Amino acid sequence: MNLYLQYLTALAPEVIVVATALLVLVMDLVLVREKPFAQRVGLTGAIACMGCGLAMVWVELVPCSIHSAMLSVSPLTQWVKVPLLLLTIFAAVLSWNERFTRHAGEYFALLLLAAAGLMLLVSSESLLMIFVALELLSTSLYALAAFDKSGVASSEAALKYFLFGGMSAAFTLFGISLIYGIAGDIQLDVIATRLRGHPVEPVFYAALVMTLVGFAFKLAAAPFHLWAPDVYEGAPTPVASFIASGSKVAAFFVLARILLSAFPGARGTASLGGHLPGWAPLLMVLAVLSMVAGNVAAIVQTNVKRLLAYSAIAHAGYALLALLADRRHALSALLFYTITYAFTVLGAFAVVGVVEESGRKASLADFAGLSRRAPLLSFCMLVFMLSLAGIPPLSGFFGKFYVFTAAADTAPKLSLLWLVVLAVAASAVSLYYYLQVLKQIYAVAPAPASAWPRPALSARVAIVLLAAIVIVLGCVPDLLLGKISELLKSNSF
Amino acid sequence: MDPSKSQLMQYVPVLMLAVVAVLFSAGTLAASSLLGKRARRSAVKDTAYECGMLPVGEGNTRLSIKFYLVAMLFILFDIEVVFLYPWAVNFKGMIREQPGLIFGSMAGFMVVLFIGYIYALKKGAFDWKQ
Amino acid sequence: MLAWTIYISFLGAALLMFLPGENPRPAKVAALLAALAGLACAAKGAIECHLHAGAGALTDVANANWIPELGIRYHLAADGISLVLVLLTGIAAVAGVLFSWNVENRSREFFALYLALIGGVYGVFLSVDLFLLFVFYEVAIIPKYFLIVIWGSTRREYGAMKLALYSFVGSAMVLVGLIAAYVMAGARTFDLAALAKVHFAPAFQNWAFIVVFVGFAILAGLWPFHTWAPTGHVAAPTAASMLLAGVVMKLGAYGALRVAMTLFPVGLHTWQNTIAVLAVVGIVYGALVALVQQDFKFVIGYSSVSHMGFVLLGLMTLTQIGLSGAVLQMFSHGIIAGLLFAVVGRMVYDRTHTRDLAVLQPKNLNQVLPFAAVTFVVGGAASMGLPGFSGFIAELQVLVGAWQTFPVFAVMAAVGILAGVAYTLRVLLKAFFAEGQVEAREPLHCPRISLPERAGALLLLGTTLLIGLCPQLLLDFITPSLNSPLMQPLWKAGTR
Repeated sequence: MNLYLQYLTALAPEVIVVATALLVLVMDLVLVREKPFAQRVGLTGAIACMGCGLAMVWVELVPCSIHSAMLSVSPLTQWVKVPLLLLTIFAAVLSWNERFTRHAGEYFALLLLAAAGLMLLVSSESLLMIFVALELLSTSLYALAAFDKSGVASSEAALKYFLFGGMSAAFTLFGISLIYGIAGDIQLDVIATRLRGHPVEPVFYAALVMTLVGFAFKLAAAPFHLWAPDVYEGAPTPVASFIASGSKVAAFFVLARILLSAFPGARGTASLGGHLPGWAPLLMVLAVLSMVAGNVAAIVQTNVKRLLAYSAIAHAGYALLALLADRRHALSALLFYTITYAFTVLGAFAVVGVVEESGRKASLADFAGLSRRAPLLSFCMLVFMLSLAGIPPLSGFFGKFYVFTAAADTAPKLSLLWLVVLAVAASAVSLYYYLQVLKQIYAVAPAPASAWPRPALSARVAIVLLAAIVIVLGCVPDLLLGKISELLKSNSF
Repeated sequence: MDPSKSQLMQYVPVLMLAVVAVLFSAGTLAASSLLGKRARRSAVKDTAYECGMLPVGEGNTRLSIKFYLVAMLFILFDIEVVFLYPWAVNFKGMIREQPGLIFGSMAGFMVVLFIGYIYALKKGAFDWKQ
Repeated sequence: MLAWTIYISFLGAALLMFLPGENPRPAKVAALLAALAGLACAAKGAIECHLHAGAGALTDVANANWIPELGIRYHLAADGISLVLVLLTGIAAVAGVLFSWNVENRSREFFALYLALIGGVYGVFLSVDLFLLFVFYEVAIIPKYFLIVIWGSTRREYGAMKLALYSFVGSAMVLVGLIAAYVMAGARTFDLAALAKVHFAPAFQNWAFIVVFVGFAILAGLWPFHTWAPTGHVAAPTAASMLLAGVVMKLGAYGALRVAMTLFPVGLHTWQNTIAVLAVVGIVYGALVALVQQDFKFVIGYSSVSHMGFVLLGLMTLTQIGLSGAVLQMFSHGIIAGLLFAVVGRMVYDRTHTRDLAVLQPKNLNQVLPFAAVTFVVGGAASMGLPGFSGFIAELQVLVGAWQTFPVFAVMAAVGILAGVAYTLRVLLKAFFAEGQVEAREPLHCPRISLPERAGALLLLGTTLLIGLCPQLLLDFITPSLNSPLMQPLWKAGTR
């Protein structure tokens, strides 16, 4: 009895989120079906936010820790759910004013189910649970990407996302089965003990590669990034923002968990001289390709959403550097980087969404002169873009700095410096395209007689809050970093 | 001995199986074309054999969306029953010690199912006239 | 007290950002007040430091834990060298506001960005935690871009982007060097004094030095990485080009001295000659190119490259007198270049709307704008290095230092000075005193030189004269600092 209750307490946040998803569905169908659309969205969206908020409160107030064959609920995994839920709430708030669908209940229910997938993913302990959670997340996101039924781009985006996703999920599953074949178990820490001293032989290497393929897809790391630009561009903007933010944080976290806790012995080396096989060289290839492909392709983009997509690919490359660092800094650098990145990119998408609402597209020219009509919004966009470019004192700068320092600090000292140099050079290039957006906003005169965005209060508040988070975490990174390192000191995962 | 070699050795049977499979399929094809009697081809002979039915019309006939809906719902509710089996197996043992839990867990499961049913109902999945 | 220079500038920027209304007057007044308050803080802080600590060693201004995870501290401190540059920043900031009094278009944003830039510059000069220094260094980049791309003139988008990318590439190199030094030291600190005590391996120093030095020196206009400077200056609005030449280029030189040279003395020794050659090439090349420019502002832009070459040459002499000359030249060039850009951009270009010397020639500006002509004559004299002005004492010191270390380069640099006289006289004659060649003298109606312009010009002229006549004022700050413990590794490396 006690054991089950314990499980229920540990999983209460997930239960709350799923229950809210069901509640939203029923509410929309039964109670407010005949009401005007705005009310339906408002009510269902509010319930969704409250559910996430409740789950957050639970996570904060009820400490619990369980380590079983399926789930590992520790203070760290519980804490990671807080930013994930916050991101979900922001995505829900930004969806309030969107008019791309009539199905309010289904939309928010799917969003909440995706959030539940994220949360399960974070605290999964066995490879199978990780796969199931990944599929829950992906399936919800495929459906969400297709939600703009009137737009061809949305369907195209969803289909591409689905086909690529299904393919890479198959690879991952095959990789997992190979790992099971080698280690005889699917529980992460058991795998680690079974594989201790095990050489990285061809089958094991194949297993690692195949497992990584699925994650590289989720992270949009090159060369598995081809879906990203089309999905970011075609999917409804709040959905795209959620795909770009929440699913990245969770995927990076769980990738770190798998690699660091199940395969600590199969690291290998990513330095130029040494040739030890393992997952580090694989990540190195992914990181280099992502940084180069993302930044180079972003330079020629004229659509801001596609630009953000390519920049997301580049950022996945930077974040992969963190995973190559020594264990002591790898996780905290990765968490700081991905969490602040998620807030930043969510904010950037929110601004794009507001601009689109005024009947514009998201091309660069549509942002011309924005600062004249919406100074606050423009300032927030400035903050987001500069943070993505890595300009202090914004959080994107410290995130990059920490990742680079951690990577350079990897033993033997400076062995990964060439990767850091590449990353720094890539991020110097990236300033060019971020400044292109800002130039349109601030320097180019607006097209005469066109509609201008009048963002709803909720969107405005959300955007300003996100910008504030980006600035505050940049000026006082210790707020987040202190918490992360405290959690990491108390337990590894 | 080199460990990677030893591991590769384990896969030699698989390799042999693959080789045999390829040889067999290629061999039968080759044998039939070498040994078989040639006959004159005609349109009738080239049509697919379909249990005596004449293959005419579109390859993919359009069905009403309702069929798919019902098929999907059937599968969903049918599969849920699978989850009842482990519950039923444990029922006898647990009803004495933890009656609340065994009841609660199934009640929760049923509630989720029920919500699904209401959803299908309200969405008009059972409404054939529309 | 000194820390308030930074805070006041950023507070002013934030205040201006949220100031309601489009009326430019409150924005200008607020910006002027902020700049004056910054200058006052700088002056008071300088006097305090001078009285209490003798201005030699680093005096703490603020020191607090910032990011304990990486051992990063919010550590501000000042020694004589940084005090001189902080004072320069204060003066240039006030003058810049005075010369921007005619900015009516989006003036709120203009002055907000302007103050943000100033705050970043103050921050760089006062930081001794290298992470903090880097943060301020980058903070100063972005406002420059916007100042040029929004309020600039000729080919502003090109100039602004070129400047931003050059600066960012430079700072990327610095970042790589800083991270490498942090990792190699293994002391989990970015503190300048602590890192300067670490003896890095010579092989490491050899590459780290050149990466960090060039990263900084890009901003100081080191040949052949100077090409952003002329285009950026030409594209920038007056105040921005004043700051660009006046203080931003000094950021690069200061960083090269404070970070690259202090941390990697062995590497410095390896590269000393190479960089000295580049500096001399910069001096001569800048002066010669300035000699044939048709655009008035390009002349001043290339002259900046030439004068900054003296700073870099002075640094490379590794002698007391050469270094002191380099620091003095930073101050002196900051004032003089600001003055010349003000004359060209504000007094002449804003009234005649041309900078083409051939077009300006028949306008006979010494009649129309006598104040501008007089200012330019005096500023030009200072720029040539006539005795009595700050440029003379600075360049003299650099040359003496260079003579001790590499006599050949000293001779070549002296040739650069001669070319400097030539282009200054040429542009002076063409732009202002071309009476002999005037054929069609068109009557030119333009507004008189306004009060803020006069005040700004007098401020800058007065400073260069004061320092020229009494260089001891600044040398009292500079000389003790050169002997401070922080600089000791430099002298050890310098002794051959």
